[in-house]
Amino acid sequence: MRKIALALALTLLLSITLLPARAQLPDFIQHTDCEVDLTGETITIYHFGDISGSFAFITQPLLAGLADAIAFYNANGGICGATIATDNRDTGGDPAQTQAHYDYYSTLDPKPDVMVLYASADAELLRTQVEEDQIPVIISAGSVEGLYGEDGRTPGWIYATNPLYGDQIGSFCDFVAADPMDMYADEPVIGYISWPGAFGQAAFTPETIAYCAEQGVTILETPEIFLPTDTDISGQVLNLTDAGANILYTNTLASGPFLVAKTVVDLGLEDDVRLAGVNWALDTSVGLLSRTSIGSDGLPAVNGIVGSLPFQWWSEVNQPGVQFITEQADANARELPTRNIAYILGFTLVDFYTELYIQTVNRVGSLDAVDGAAIKETMDNIDYSPLGMYNISFAGGELRAVTENRIAMMGFANADMSGLATSGDDALKIPRDDGTNIYVPVLVPLTDFAPAPDLRPGGE
Amino acid sequence: MAASIRPSGVFDTQYTQDIALNRTRGEKRQMWLAFGLLLLVPLLTIEGPIGAWLNSIQIGALPTLWVGLISRIAIYAIAVQGLNMLMGYTGQISLGHAAFMGIGAYSAAVMARELGLPFWVAVPLAALFTGVIGLLFGIPSLRVKGFYLAMATLAAQFIIPWVLRYPLEPLTNGSRPLEVPAPLIEFSSYSDYSASVTNGTPSSYIFQRNPSFLSDVVRVTTVSSGAAPRVSVSTRSGQTLLTTPLTDGQDNVIGLQFIASGEDIYIITAEPAADTLYRLDVRVNQAVNFSQQNAMYYIIVPVSVLMFLVARNIIRSRVGRAFISIRDNDLAAELLGINVFSYKLQAFFLSSLYAGLAGALWAFDTGTLSIDKFTLTLSIEFLAMLVIGGAGFPLGAVMGVTFISLLSQYLIPALLPVLNSFLPALLPFINAVNLQAALSPTLFGLAIALFLIIEPRGLAYRWEILKIAWKIRPYAY
Amino acid sequence: MTALTNFYTGYKRELRWLLIVGGLVLALLLLQPLLVDKKVSRMMMTTVTGLLVGGVYALIALGIVIINKASGVFNFAHGLMMLFGAMLFYSFFSVAQVNPLAAGALVLATALMVLTMGGRDSLRNPRNLALAAVAVVVLTALLSVQISGFQLIRAVIGGLVGAVLIGLCVERFAIRPLIGQPLFASVLMTLAVSEIMLGLTQMTWGSVEIPLQIFAGLNSLGIPTPIRFEDVIDGNITIRTELVITFILALVAFGAFVAFFRYTSVGLAMRATAENQELARSVGLRVRFILAIAWGIAALLAMVGGVLQGGATSLSLNMPALALRAFPAVLLGGLESIGGALVGGLIIGLVQEWANFLFPGTQAGTELAPYVVLMLVLVVRPDGLFGEKRIERI
Repeated sequence: MRKIALALALTLLLSITLLPARAQLPDFIQHTDCEVDLTGETITIYHFGDISGSFAFITQPLLAGLADAIAFYNANGGICGATIATDNRDTGGDPAQTQAHYDYYSTLDPKPDVMVLYASADAELLRTQVEEDQIPVIISAGSVEGLYGEDGRTPGWIYATNPLYGDQIGSFCDFVAADPMDMYADEPVIGYISWPGAFGQAAFTPETIAYCAEQGVTILETPEIFLPTDTDISGQVLNLTDAGANILYTNTLASGPFLVAKTVVDLGLEDDVRLAGVNWALDTSVGLLSRTSIGSDGLPAVNGIVGSLPFQWWSEVNQPGVQFITEQADANARELPTRNIAYILGFTLVDFYTELYIQTVNRVGSLDAVDGAAIKETMDNIDYSPLGMYNISFAGGELRAVTENRIAMMGFANADMSGLATSGDDALKIPRDDGTNIYVPVLVPLTDFAPAPDLRPGGE
Repeated sequence: MAASIRPSGVFDTQYTQDIALNRTRGEKRQMWLAFGLLLLVPLLTIEGPIGAWLNSIQIGALPTLWVGLISRIAIYAIAVQGLNMLMGYTGQISLGHAAFMGIGAYSAAVMARELGLPFWVAVPLAALFTGVIGLLFGIPSLRVKGFYLAMATLAAQFIIPWVLRYPLEPLTNGSRPLEVPAPLIEFSSYSDYSASVTNGTPSSYIFQRNPSFLSDVVRVTTVSSGAAPRVSVSTRSGQTLLTTPLTDGQDNVIGLQFIASGEDIYIITAEPAADTLYRLDVRVNQAVNFSQQNAMYYIIVPVSVLMFLVARNIIRSRVGRAFISIRDNDLAAELLGINVFSYKLQAFFLSSLYAGLAGALWAFDTGTLSIDKFTLTLSIEFLAMLVIGGAGFPLGAVMGVTFISLLSQYLIPALLPVLNSFLPALLPFINAVNLQAALSPTLFGLAIALFLIIEPRGLAYRWEILKIAWKIRPYAY
Repeated sequence: MTALTNFYTGYKRELRWLLIVGGLVLALLLLQPLLVDKKVSRMMMTTVTGLLVGGVYALIALGIVIINKASGVFNFAHGLMMLFGAMLFYSFFSVAQVNPLAAGALVLATALMVLTMGGRDSLRNPRNLALAAVAVVVLTALLSVQISGFQLIRAVIGGLVGAVLIGLCVERFAIRPLIGQPLFASVLMTLAVSEIMLGLTQMTWGSVEIPLQIFAGLNSLGIPTPIRFEDVIDGNITIRTELVITFILALVAFGAFVAFFRYTSVGLAMRATAENQELARSVGLRVRFILAIAWGIAALLAMVGGVLQGGATSLSLNMPALALRAFPAVLLGGLESIGGALVGGLIIGLVQEWANFLFPGTQAGTELAPYVVLMLVLVVRPDGLFGEKRIERI
């Protein structure tokens, strides 16, 4: 029954995006030409992260995206003929496991040329080690400490394909200050409520507070903290609203933003408080969890959450990259929960790997000659947009994170899939067995791509 | 146990022989041989000279993984040895051992960062400091024992990380990771340079490094009237290796990795803000850098062996016998005139000291600390290691740690594909993706449970029995 | 060190009073500035929420006390027994069609465990076998039946059966083999059991939190969610309805188990066994049987606590941490005292909520305050508020 419901949701989503299927690497994907034929070789994507813990909502779709992309690219020539493979390991969110897995990967013979990580905490833990072992690492988004060290000015070997978390809250403050849709109070006050640890606390720094204050947006001095496994955070939310917060910003994912939104609804504060968050907060996973808590307008609690969207989204159907990824997800019968942020990132990662290896192999002459240092050199100078979904450039090696960002808002599809629902009555509802409904989350970009402010410590 | 069974012809003629740790020359030789082999391991990997040579003549080298694995086993063995002191000998349960290891790690890191202490001073100081904190939490042992004491240490396991995370945040970085300075032993400063400059003029200092296997540590200190200058390091050809802002009045250590990278001439340039008066001191010291390659191995393993010997020695002393008497019957011990409270506190002190030492070594070995490492899970893991290895045997700690480490490093990855191939098909409710994370607690719990039921005295006891069986072979008794 | 000990033993009483008075003065001095700018309505709300949260703590503490009274074991696996039981409940609650084979296997395993609770002899008794067979058939049928609206009842039955199975299995395979071994063996064994159960939970349900929708229909029943009181003194008071219902149900469960102890013959036998095992055996009570029942009941309590907590919030791997926080409640109330479990639970709930309220942004309520209470209890009054004074002092 649940499967049928999801399939129904799927077909509805597809009805707006359906395009004739193509068998070849689409024309809009423009890789550098191969100068060396790698047929018979294998290039492995080494990836380890929290696949079963609190990041599972994100990491399992990531694996799906990787798998679908690898299948497609291998069927269409691989990387200059080389077969792409993956080697995934699960840490369950345990730092000891991270270290054990890293030891395993870093002592492989030959050593991995490049690895993929997921959690900021893992990046921070391994920062000095990957530098020592000369293994570049690709991570989706990171904290200043993980990418640039404690002083914020020492670029390491870890590269993020999304803007820094601190910079994301900076662009959010820009948005609040401009307030083009007149949704914020005259004196916006942000209460920061997040998980403890590297990821959750990454956006709460003296620099971000100072920057936002310059834009006329106050960030309350005392942040609130809850655990990924916490289940009642009404005390934390009330502490912030009592202190004057009218915006709650959360640097969490999946159940995190959902819990904040649910608590706001439970406490009846919907009209007083606006929700905002990091790029992970604007995700299908958050939208789907939220069906269990409905606000007074009849829509799930996270309706209207604002945050960063530094890449194209599923709903931007006139983008060729989006069309292509949607086709692929359809072809592999991926259900709605899998069609999220991480599927996009997993899929584009394979495309990025392809370009990264083509460029490196072209420069050094053979796959055997590719090592961590060679990949790093390519990475420093690359300027490439995987599937046209977002642009990856590290400014000649100066930067370790992409800076282009934009702000978007989450809403829910209306009954005829023509736009956003304004209330529970006209929303698209897919009934489930247990009496609840699934609402289909939709993201709406509110600004164009623009560089996020640079809020690393030590800047002028 | 095994002590009573000896090769024929070996007799004690003096009391000192009776309590000697190694009774025969053979035992002594075995020990040195094992220690020597252990020290050879890094050299035999592909990164070591012998291993590289062996590999080049097609014999093959040891896996590089072993160096890290043995280092970790050695560090944990120290911590578990400490727990053994408390639990195995004195009979007091601790559920907070990981928190004490955390204190050691963080205090070592803070001493090195804030006070600039070299690691060979910071490590023992951190261990002592942890011992003192351990005393503090040992005080309830004066009123309560057994389960109540387990509760006190459980409280410690939560209170200590909280204190590290929140009130001490300025020192420990709270939830964020804490970078630990590289473990260095610095020698002569072979070049000194100091300059007073005004009005924002940049000043440069060129130095030529001595060709040697030692690393060079560039220490820059500034005093300035306004914002501290930025400092960059570049090569002769003008390639900038790094640029970093300085903090006034602090000893800024820069450029370790770059200097070690093989060029011979470097230029250090200070770029001040406009109209700033500043004074710049540059010192270049030669140093042994233990964070390089496998150098830390040669600190950790000998220290671990040393601490093992110390523990073995303590146990046969007056203190050790007092510990054991408290474990066996505390009331009787009191009646015999043993100051139970004092000895309990000593056990707490020693056990925390060991944990602190392990933590401090861990800090300098990994280079990055996170509070999430020192949780209740790790404490339970330590308990499990001790029980599996054999509480009350000096060798128990080492065996338990090795067993659990090998379990997670080799057995689980080997078991996973096998289980994945049939388990989800057999029991449809099991999700293959979840299996990997679930396997480690399941096997871990099973290992503890089985040992508790089948061999509560642990591997070390089994080992003793094996040794006796070997010695009296071919007779059964 | 010896001088220190002598000083302590010489001035024990004075030192203790100094500690208590000093602590109180310090606490007041510290708290006073924190309280100045707080709203009175928030204080009232914190107090009410704290008491409500404490209900579940009391239920957990009761389970721990029962095991401790009956068998002298401190059950660190209680948190995972909660989670595991609640997860089973969730499975029967959320699945449209239960596989009759799976349901049958579960019921059969439970029946076998119950039958052999006091030894294998009862397997030879045809009357017992017939009863068990009937029970198996009826329960399996109930569990696999598919009627809409029947889910909750099915889940309750499934959860109860599952909880009994868990409790009996833990007792049989983990605790019983350890009889005669030192205390730390049993502590470690419960830790090992909780690791195994953690693994099994992750294997089956993953590590992701799961919403348990047992209170989803409250709104349609006309019960307001949340309960709001507008403008009380200087602000609104909002109480989550789920918490109120959880609290009431927890108290009902608590009361039911206390009544069971007081008024049923099995309950009396359990109390007798708890008093003195040797004596109980000599008057003909089957101690093994009693121990098994105690574990079964504790597992039931754990399941009820888990379902209530999961319904009020959601099912997550955080539940074991919740049970750890009940240990301070147990010690505060006194290890052997059932009433103490209630009082201790409520106090820990209050302390947690107030700490969260007074020290924002530090997780003080969940990570610190209960353990500070624990430390204080150990130093000041190790027997707890209502415990028997029988700690051996040295």
